[in-house]
Amino acid sequence: METNLIAEGFKFMALGMGTVFLFLIILIVCMNAMSAILHKYFPEPQPGVTPDVASKQDNKKIIAAITAAIAHHRQA
Amino acid sequence: MKFFVLKLLALMLFGFATLHANAEVHHAEATEALSTHKEESYHTKPLDEMIGGFLKSTGVSALINPDPDELNAQGEQMSEFHKSWGRVIMILLTFFLFWLAIKKGFEPLLLLPIAFGGLLANIPVAGIAGEHGFLGVIYNMGLSNELFPILIFMGVGAMTDFGPLLSNPKTALLGGAAQFGIFGTLVGAVALSQMGFVDFTLQQASAISIIGGADGPTSIFIATKLAPELLGAIAVASYSYMAMVPIIQPPIMKALTTDAERKIKMTTLRHVSRLEKLIFPIMVLVLAILVLPESTPLIGAFMFGNFLKESGVVERLNDTLQNALINIVTIFLGLGVGSKLAADQFLVPDTMFIMALGIIAFSVGTAAGVLMAKIMNLFPGNKINPLIGSAGVSAVPMAARVSNKVGMEYDRSNMLLMHAMGPNVAGVIGSAVAAGVLISLFQ
Repeated sequence: METNLIAEGFKFMALGMGTVFLFLIILIVCMNAMSAILHKYFPEPQPGVTPDVASKQDNKKIIAAITAAIAHHRQA
Repeated sequence: MKFFVLKLLALMLFGFATLHANAEVHHAEATEALSTHKEESYHTKPLDEMIGGFLKSTGVSALINPDPDELNAQGEQMSEFHKSWGRVIMILLTFFLFWLAIKKGFEPLLLLPIAFGGLLANIPVAGIAGEHGFLGVIYNMGLSNELFPILIFMGVGAMTDFGPLLSNPKTALLGGAAQFGIFGTLVGAVALSQMGFVDFTLQQASAISIIGGADGPTSIFIATKLAPELLGAIAVASYSYMAMVPIIQPPIMKALTTDAERKIKMTTLRHVSRLEKLIFPIMVLVLAILVLPESTPLIGAFMFGNFLKESGVVERLNDTLQNALINIVTIFLGLGVGSKLAADQFLVPDTMFIMALGIIAFSVGTAAGVLMAKIMNLFPGNKINPLIGSAGVSAVPMAARVSNKVGMEYDRSNMLLMHAMGPNVAGVIGSAVAAGVLISLFQ
């Protein structure tokens, strides 16, 4: 086998890493664009608008508070 | 009227009787045929000959004095060593894997089925891993056609939360950098065969290097596609190194970072709306379709699972994907991979190189992720703690937990877990893309 396998390997690496980064960079741009668009045109309903959502978010807040308290306790 | 009914009844009775008689005749004929057949193949033997024949069919005899005509699961000749001592060694090796899984807790969910499959595959005479043995049937049912890894990916998708990635998108780059482990190892593997140590083809080298993606299903997917003969070694290397992430990664992470860097506190993650999480899987899939259709089997299955979860309206399906389906497939996948632990396929010099290359792939991937985070810190913007860079190797969620643990060693109030989940899930996408590139190169 006279083909230089190492050179071949480096070609694979350049193409592979290039594609992975290209894909992820496009993905990052899209993610930022999406969140910008969604925040502008479809803002999340504010807490208190509907009682159902409010209670759910309150629950989340309580859970967050409890988690933080546990974390604090563990550090102490 | 009454007469008519009676007549009908009689007719039915008559019909039934003839049918029954017919059936009896058939039955008698069949029994007769069977008995003559039996007489032809069975000769009476003296008792000592019977005992001798039985002893020859025992496992002890098959291991000490193997049948020269015995073929392996692929129907090829095997060496004497692989039929006798090789099997004993492999069975002892599966015992060692049991110990690792049970006592040391190394990915027991997969290592146990794999090891048990390996134990069954090395039984002489029974041919369990052969085409008609049940391991062979499982292998042909879902591994040789790459179905099981895809099903696992659906379940993993249903378990994944892209929230941390969505709230800090740039950490996706860390998941990309960690894929350097894959391609760096690819170069290493071809360099080894160029220097004449082993004889790996480019396909085999690619299949080995994907271990660096630290993603079990992706490794199995690529190995069955590019180098099915190496599947056993690649799967075992992949899963055992994934289990050893807490041992392999911390020294590398500590060696590449300064004390100040390890104490960097990252800004709190913003809230991610449900709509964002719902659109994300579709967005990734559309990108994959546009950039690299070869990666869509993996990414498509992954995003399907995630979409079902985020849709919030198919809780039952989501629950099945996360639990029942992934558990069933894990059993089959493990046993199927175990069937490739047959001595004649595993006890070859290649395996040693695969194990060595696998750990290099892992280490390079970890290092690349950490270094990428340091490079990103050179640019203005919110600083990134380089410890989360190591989570770019997929191994979800183990790698993220390791980042968190190492971070806490230096600052007990520094919670990196959620920050590390971002690069972690990006690593899964990254290794699926890398897999797609490798497949497309061999088309």
